[in-house]
Amino acid sequence: MATTIESAPPPVRSPGRRRGTPVARGERPLRLVVVTTIIVAILALVAWPIVAALLGSLHDWNPLNGTYEWVGTANYRRLFDDPVFWTSSVNTVVFMVGAILGRVVLGVALAYAIYSRLTRTKTLFRTLYYLPTVTPLVAVAYVWRLMYHPQFGAVNSILGLDVNWLYDSRFALLAVMVMTIWKDFGFAVILYLAGLYSLRTDVLQAAEVDGAGAWARFRRVIWPMLRPTTLLVVVTSMIGYLQAFVQVLVLTGGGPGDSTSLISYLIYQQAFEKYDFGYASAAAFVLFVATAVLTLLLFRAQSGPLRGKAR
Amino acid sequence: MRRGIASLCLHGALLAVAAVTIFPFVWMLLSSFKSADEISAVDQHLLPHVWTLENYRSIQENFDAVRLLGNSLMLSIVITAIAVYTSLLGGYVFGKYRFRGRGALFAVVLATMMIPWAVVLIPRYTMFTGAGLQDSYASIVIPAAISSFGIFMMRQSMDNVPDEILEAARIDGASELYIFHRIVAPMSVNAISALAIFQFLWVWEDYLWPYLMLSTPSKQVLAVGLTTFSGQYSTDYGGLFAATTVSIVPVVIVYVIFQKRFIAGAASAAVKG
Repeated sequence: MATTIESAPPPVRSPGRRRGTPVARGERPLRLVVVTTIIVAILALVAWPIVAALLGSLHDWNPLNGTYEWVGTANYRRLFDDPVFWTSSVNTVVFMVGAILGRVVLGVALAYAIYSRLTRTKTLFRTLYYLPTVTPLVAVAYVWRLMYHPQFGAVNSILGLDVNWLYDSRFALLAVMVMTIWKDFGFAVILYLAGLYSLRTDVLQAAEVDGAGAWARFRRVIWPMLRPTTLLVVVTSMIGYLQAFVQVLVLTGGGPGDSTSLISYLIYQQAFEKYDFGYASAAAFVLFVATAVLTLLLFRAQSGPLRGKAR
Repeated sequence: MRRGIASLCLHGALLAVAAVTIFPFVWMLLSSFKSADEISAVDQHLLPHVWTLENYRSIQENFDAVRLLGNSLMLSIVITAIAVYTSLLGGYVFGKYRFRGRGALFAVVLATMMIPWAVVLIPRYTMFTGAGLQDSYASIVIPAAISSFGIFMMRQSMDNVPDEILEAARIDGASELYIFHRIVAPMSVNAISALAIFQFLWVWEDYLWPYLMLSTPSKQVLAVGLTTFSGQYSTDYGGLFAATTVSIVPVVIVYVIFQKRFIAGAASAAVKG
């Protein structure tokens, strides 16, 4: 706006921007209040809880009988000897990888289909696909529990099958994953659509002029250019799915056996069903470290030698 | 011609996915009007033969669904209002003020978004119960009053507010709070509505924290009501259909009305994030 006025003076730099001169009136108190509040909130609600969790994981900690006794690394040793922990870890990885794959593949495929062919119905599909994402997880998980019901559930009625999805250890984790993908893929569609519409069209046109077919254009030009979007989808999904919990609580309660137990569910059970706060804190800390390491590795991979190596 | 057929197939596939997406909602809604016999019948039909409101009456009697709905609504609105306001304020300070440690503090705010809830949950629980806040709405509002995602999102939107306007207002003698409320806030309406939507949904669906903190049944939120309801009346499938409908339909109505804002909000996170 300002650039259209030819005689507009150069942007005024307020005295506050320069070192040694007073800042704008009222800026300092407002800044002080806001920054102090944020620092206090982070210290009280994040920093101290992390320290307390780390300390707690080194204690035998049970709030019911008031125990808080130093046990060193006993909780961690117990955790690494616990077969349920290992089953839960494997389940978490399988669940996470499956759900991320489903989300990325569905997200990019549907977004690309909408992007390349549809103009008038674009909004309709986008709106429908995003619907499950905005609905409350607890509630839709209950709907899916009923959908999976062996007797009257819609899944068996429609597929003409007779499978007890949630009580058969072969299918239970898959059922939880399918529900999760159904709930979340729409967000990936929206992100990929935003990514596609922000691509430089000249590159796409050049590829088309060069005679590249639809698949070749996608694989060699579009998919590599969508790399930042994919990274965003993968990182946010990963952080979310490592902590996934409500689906399991509602659908299977970790069962049958431990076949759908995820690490966060194990933490929840140990903490608020068995009140073994020390043990649960140890598991939570392992999850914390795993999340941090995986996130760093992903960002490293993005900015490292893989970057721009579009095959 | 070949293009026409391909386009038709593509539309078919997209429609099939859309059908799978909305089917659970349709099935839930229709089933909530079925009688218990019809729900568990071997021979399944999508539409109820006889429409009944019995399921809705039963959830109202069993767990006062209207009361829990009101609690959820009230908490969601209050927390959303507070969190959006503090986020905008935080975004303004981080986006428009230059001060020592700004970059480092903002990095810390961002980093808090990656911390799993499981790590901070137990210490927070002991902190809040230790402070005697169990069974009070303060325990629900306080941890949600400041949102690092909100601050991040609002800081991004500060690019839309030109420094020149702020400088001009300052030269005219406007106070910082006046500038914030009368200039910055009105120029951030899009970001505010996008954040408000997300924030509302997060509070609406939050389950674990209210479950741990609130013990009086009539104070509970709808999401927790669902889980306790299902535990107590595990064979009342009709009630479960009705209860899930009550907790999903308000959200769907809001979504249908504001769907453009929902999608713009999600997409803006993609482009700027």
